[in-house]
Formats: sequence, structure tokens, C-alpha cells
Amino acid sequence: MTHTMETRQPRPSPPGDRAPRPGSASQRSGRRRENLAGYLFMSPWLAGFLLLTAGPMAVSLYFAFTDYNLFDAPQWIGLSNFQEMFADPRWQKSVEVTTKYVVIGTPLKLAAALGVALLLAQSRRGQAFYRAAFYAPSLIGASVSIAIVWRALFTDGAIVDRAQTQFFGLNVGGWVGDPDWILYSLVALTVWQFGAPMVIFLAGLKQVPRELYEAAAVDGAGPLRRFWNITLPMISPVLFFNVLLETIHSFQVFGSAYILGGQGNPCGPADATLVYTCYLYQQGFENSRMGFASAMAWMLLIAVGLVTAVLFWSQKRWVHYEENAR
Amino acid sequence: MGIRGQVERRTFLKAAGVTVASLGATAVGCGGGTGGSGGGGGEVTIRYAWWGADDRAKKINQAIALFEKKYPKIKVKTDFQPYADFWKKFNTQAAGGNPPDVIQNAVTFLRKYAARNVLLDLNPQVKEGNLSTQGFRAGLEKFAEIDGKLLGVPVGSNSMGYIIDEKLYEKAGVTPEFGWTWNDWVAGLGKIKEKTGVAGDAGPSGIMYYYDLVLRQRGKAFFTDKGLGFEESDLVTEWTEAMKRTRSGLYANPKRVEQLKPKSATAGGISAGEFTWDNFSVRYAAEGKSSYGIAPIPTIDGRKTGQYLGSLMLSGTRRTKHPKEVATFINFMVHDPEVGRIMGYDRGVLATQKQFDAFEPTDKVSKQIAAYETKIAQSGVLEPITPHPAGSDVVETAFMRLATELSLGKASPGEAAQKFFAEAKTALSTSD
Repeated sequence: MTHTMETRQPRPSPPGDRAPRPGSASQRSGRRRENLAGYLFMSPWLAGFLLLTAGPMAVSLYFAFTDYNLFDAPQWIGLSNFQEMFADPRWQKSVEVTTKYVVIGTPLKLAAALGVALLLAQSRRGQAFYRAAFYAPSLIGASVSIAIVWRALFTDGAIVDRAQTQFFGLNVGGWVGDPDWILYSLVALTVWQFGAPMVIFLAGLKQVPRELYEAAAVDGAGPLRRFWNITLPMISPVLFFNVLLETIHSFQVFGSAYILGGQGNPCGPADATLVYTCYLYQQGFENSRMGFASAMAWMLLIAVGLVTAVLFWSQKRWVHYEENAR
Repeated sequence: MGIRGQVERRTFLKAAGVTVASLGATAVGCGGGTGGSGGGGGEVTIRYAWWGADDRAKKINQAIALFEKKYPKIKVKTDFQPYADFWKKFNTQAAGGNPPDVIQNAVTFLRKYAARNVLLDLNPQVKEGNLSTQGFRAGLEKFAEIDGKLLGVPVGSNSMGYIIDEKLYEKAGVTPEFGWTWNDWVAGLGKIKEKTGVAGDAGPSGIMYYYDLVLRQRGKAFFTDKGLGFEESDLVTEWTEAMKRTRSGLYANPKRVEQLKPKSATAGGISAGEFTWDNFSVRYAAEGKSSYGIAPIPTIDGRKTGQYLGSLMLSGTRRTKHPKEVATFINFMVHDPEVGRIMGYDRGVLATQKQFDAFEPTDKVSKQIAAYETKIAQSGVLEPITPHPAGSDVVETAFMRLATELSLGKASPGEAAQKFFAEAKTALSTSD
């Protein structure tokens, strides 16, 4: 790659480009100054990253190999935390619950997001209002108060309980106290927060060229066929992005799961909503086992990293990028 | 095809990169707390934290107003959370070297924080005359003494009782009396079920302090000062029997019990009684529609109940810069008659004779508690309490959770007991 300061080309050099740069000394010092200014402008973010993310991560990596109860100095115990983890039935349970939550919740949420986005993409009166209205739950969905409201909705004798008894004759009581049902109320909560992926889908749908639909319609393709053969492939990069983001998010669910079980039962009755982070939190902050909790955190990082890698690998089979339009 | 129809691959890769970076946040979960403590200019500020709810907060604020009036140079800053949150916060603060100066404390946590060197030994303050250990009822002043250190001062005492729905008991014609046996109790549960259709008991499987009584009646105990005081086979027997009673309807439907939470099963009307601390009976009157009383603990031999006085206490923390003011404050809170009048039996029956005499219960519930406590004190059944070993708080949580798994049918008595012993072993060995 050859470019100089004098003839700035539209494409800037990628970061970390080490190719030798021709130019006089003054030009070089000018560049240095510019670099310095750049770093200066970055510094708040950089400091934040180093102090609040990279630093704690490094420390947490160290803790993962220690026995650390917050009060006494950490003791190096090698891989013991990891060995204990794999043998721990509650850890296995938390993996099971989390997997279930991700596998059920994420597709449902994305389906809801795409479905609503399809409706909202049509031009109709008042669409702006509908978009705002459907997006609103995502703005407040992650908050503690909504989890509390959710608990109130699904608790014994509350509205969901009464509705299912009256309309469906199901007498199962509140979902929240029932180990067989509580996870589904958690899934319902995440599905309801489809706003963020919906907005991204909407942006993707707007970019699908009308001509394609018109051409397909002329050839006699029905709405389903048009969706399957035009919409889906055209928005597949957006879909991929949403799948990735939502999967990672789902793995990290904590607040809603913790609150939904209620005060007597954080993480649900009989560990029914013992999602991974919930168990991590219990080990770290209730049992004061920060070493074990750190090991769990790194295990989660590795697992989510693997899932992400698999998703990236899979995209060549189903994600279509338009490389030709440059 | 126009530019607008193009989805930039690089944009997506970049965005994905950001996502991966955001993953990193997962691994960041630990950190210490920092903060400053005030004070200066002759005026000293101490921080006092406790667990409880709004009604307790109101009373405590009144008591503190009184204290600040009498000691204008000492200011007290308060902070409170519900029980579980309180300990998490305190744990983090203590680990970060910035705990409150005074905390509400309980027997489960004494050894844990003694081992971690968090609590203040109040004995020097007693010697200096800032804190009096005179005038406590029933030897309570010895309650929080561990290895010669005075780590807390009781504010009230309580003991386990059997809360009953009086209307249901009356309807079924069952009258619990001091010295009734477990057989009487089970027969009563059956009668209640038969006559009223309501389960006799809420199901005691997860209540550690109930099981402690059962064990003590057999000469064992839940905890020794080092570990568990019973065998896995004891627990299997206990839980197998409990499951039989659940199936036959003597104990309330566990699913319904869970779904009712945080309301208790008895206040919610799905059982006629449950084991709990006697001073908790206040809640039942507020939560439930029936009228509630405190019945005695059933026995094996008609005499020994295994009961002991539990207690909430005030402890200082070792890091405090103002041990003298801490002692002065605790002294005022446990001895001042006016404080006794304000607090009532909110944290158990008042610990010092002076406060006990100053408060005259007028409502039915407080009268019941006073009568109950007087009765068991007079009957001479009270035993000394052993401060629980470090890690016992984690053990109690595991006990509750595994009992729920058991009663909801997610684990057999054998499996649940085995899991409990495994978890207890870890908790007790990692908490030293």
C-alpha cells in the first residue's frame, strides 16, 4: 500500500500499518504530532478501557487460578477451580439452563423482531408512532423495575394466572413459583424486548431494492416466495448481525433472571432460572468465592467466543454480501 | 444497482468486533469498594447499617434522633437493605476496607467475620466504661463472646415458635399445649386437614432452625462450632418422612407455597401453621386475614424442646476510627429506656431489663410474644447457643434451596441430602 501525506487518498491506512512511509523529517514530526493529538483525543476512552476493562480482566484472569475470598490474599491453586467447576452439579445445571434460554429465547425474539419489522416497513399512516411504540419495551426492558413488574404479572393469582385459568382452563398457578414454567416467563420477557433487533431489521429491509420485488411480482412470485427468495437473502447480513448480537446478549442475561425468582428465590425455585451469570454471582458475592467466580467468567468468555466463531464460520453458507457493487 | 442497496461487509465485521469486545465485560466481575468516611472539627460521624424494612427504619431514625440530641458531637449516618442484600453489601464493603462503623449482626455471621478479622472487640471499651454489659436478661451479654472477644451486644432475644392460624385450629378442635409431642402434632395436622381441608403445616423441610430443634431433642445439633452436627442418614430419614407428609396432604402443596412467596403459606391461607421465629409473628397479622398465635414447639419426651435464645445484636467493625463513639452509640441503643419504648419487639424481646420494663406491649401480637418468651424462660428448656461455624450462612442457603428441590420433586431425599452434604463441605472448608 503506497500513500503519502501530501496526496491524501480517500482510503486511510488501516491501524497498525507498518509500511515505510516516504517523506521528509518535518513531515514525519508533523505526523507524530498528529498521532499524539489523536491519542490525546482517545485518552478518556483509552483510560477507561485500561482501568475499567483491560485491568480488571487481567486481574480476573489471575483470580481464576486462585482461591480468593475477598478478605485473605489470593492463593494460587492452578486449575482446581476449573476442575471443581466441571464436576459441580450446579454449574452443569446453570449451563443447561443458559443453553435452554439462549436456544429458545433468541430465535423467538428474532422472529418477533423480523415479523414486526416487516409490518412496520410498509408505508402506512402513523408508522412513526408504531415504530416508537414497539421500540419502547427495549428501552425499559433491561431495567430492574420491568423485571419486578414481570414478576407481578406472572405471580400466583395475577393477570396471567387468571387469564390462563379463565380462557384455557389451565390451573397451573403462577409461572413464577413453578420450576417447570418460570424459565418461559423469562423467555417471554426477552422476546418482548425485540425493539433493538427490530430497528436493525427495519434499516435492512429499507435497503432492499424495490426493483427486485417488482421483477419477482411480474414473474408471478407470491408474498411468501418473495420473502423467502428476496427479503431473506438480501437482509441476511443484518440477520447475521442480529443473531450474533442477541446470542451473546442472551448468554449474559442476569438482572431479569435474578429478580424474577423473587427475594426468597433469587435464580428461581429449585434453580429453575439459574442462568450462568446468576450462579457466578452467587459464588462470587454470596459465597465470597471470587476465584471460582472469575474462573466461571472466563469459561463463559471462552464458550461465547466459540459460539461466535462457529457463527462466523457458518455465515459463508447462508449470509450473502454484495461484493460487486463498489 | 445503486450504492444505497449495498450492505458493507466491513461495517458488519467492525460491528461484530465491537460485539466481541463487549464480551470482555463479562470477565470483569470483581473489584473492591472505596469511599471516604466523614468527620472532623470535633464532630464525629459514624455509619450504622442494618437490614430490615421501612417500619424498622422509622423506629431506628427516631432512636437516633434521640441519641444525637444527647450526644450532639456524634452524628449517625444510616443505611439499610433487605437481609440478603445487606450481607452482600457489607461483605463487599468489608473486603474493600470500608465497612460501616456499626452493623446489625446475627449469630450465623459471628465466626465468619471473626475469622476474617472484621469485627471490633468491644471488651476494651467495656473496661474504659464506654459500654456496660450489666443488666442483660437471661445471660445475653455472653451471647456474642468468641475466644474471649466481645464481638457484639444483643439488642433483643427471640426463639423459635410454631405460628398457627388460630381460627383453623379452633375449627378442627386442636389445642397445642406446652410439652405436646410430635405424635400429637402430626395427629393434629391430620385432624385439621380432615376438618378444614387446609394442610396442617407449610412444610418445614427447608427451615434450618426447625431441623436444629429436632436434632437437639435427640442430643445432636445442626452445627457444632466446627462443622455439621449430624449425619447424611439423619437428613435422608427426615426428608423421606417429610415427602410422605407432603404427598398425603399434611404439608401444603409445595408448588403453591413457592408461588405465594414472599407471602408465607400460613398467612396466605394454604396451611394452618409453620415454624418460625416468634418475633416474626408480627408479619402474619399484617399479611394474612385470619388471627394468628404462637404455639409451643412439639417434643419427643414431653419436655425437651431444644430451644435457645437467638438474638440480633449490634457489632462494631475493627477498621473504625472511632471505637469510643461506636461503644457509646451501642451502649445507648441497648440501655436507654426510651429507645426500648420506641423499638418495641421489632428485633426480638428487648435484651436489657431496663428496656424490657420500659416497653409495655399494648397490641395483641407483642403481648403474645412477651407471654411466649416468659413461658419458655420459666419452663427452663432454654439451652445455650453455639455460634455457628464460618460458612454457615452459605450452608443455610443451600439447605433451603435443596429442600425446595426436594419438595418440588426435582430431587429424591437421598439425592438432595447427598448434594447438601457435598455443598456444606465446600462451604465450610472454603470459608475459613
